[in-house]
Amino acid sequence: MVRAIDCADAVARLQDYFKRELTPELAQEVERHLQHCGGCFAHARFEENFLLMLETRARRDSCPSALRMRIVHTLRLDPERD
Amino acid sequence: MAEPSTAGRSFDAEALPHLDALYRVALRLTGDPAQAEDLVQDTMLKAYRSWRQYRPGTNAKGWLMTILRNTFINDYRRRKLEPVPMDLEAVEPHALYRSVETTDPEGTFFSQIVDEKVIEAVDALPREFREVLVLSDMEDMRYAEIAEALELPVGTVKSRLFRARRQLQAALHAHAVEMGIIKPRES
Repeated sequence: MVRAIDCADAVARLQDYFKRELTPELAQEVERHLQHCGGCFAHARFEENFLLMLETRARRDSCPSALRMRIVHTLRLDPERD
Repeated sequence: MAEPSTAGRSFDAEALPHLDALYRVALRLTGDPAQAEDLVQDTMLKAYRSWRQYRPGTNAKGWLMTILRNTFINDYRRRKLEPVPMDLEAVEPHALYRSVETTDPEGTFFSQIVDEKVIEAVDALPREFREVLVLSDMEDMRYAEIAEALELPVGTVKSRLFRARRQLQAALHAHAVEMGIIKPRES
């Protein structure tokens, strides 16, 4: 049986919901609320778009290949390498 | 060049795949590519030299992030002008959503902000907020992994993340208003 939650509870859990950090029970409670509450559904889209936006900006940079080579080279020559 | 030993090979296999993530987090912590390179190199050397403390097959990325973050705090932080520290508990989580409810309820303005401005806004967060946000929302680490890597209770990670996101949303909203991407709040 999924417990009914109010808007404040649902909104407080939205970010954790999209990050998949809720237990299955808590996630179900959020989903059930969103099915019936247009206001929270819109708010959920807002939080989801924010988190998706951060994810898409995240992987722009990668370790420069010169740095990668320098690290590998340094470690190979490290006297403490056993 | 000497052939890598068994320990060396396990380090290469478990640690080197995380160089991109380490570099990106170092960039966000230092705010400077040259310092980020130094920080990653120092981190990898320290990690290599204490590789015996790492339990094979556990979370290498988290283990490396701990070293990176502690090295940053101990050796690098003083070099950079940090955003003014604030009472973290006193930061009011802005109910930003209320101000876009009528104009852009789905937050489409977020995707219209250029990369540079997003990164600038992330870099302007206080370090305590920035590190959890970067690890969670940009490097996709679990809350529990972040708690372990930063040696914080999970509850602290969660409350900092909540405030970090609110503060970032408010900064991006202000930028979007300034750029005319979104109308200011109707009053």
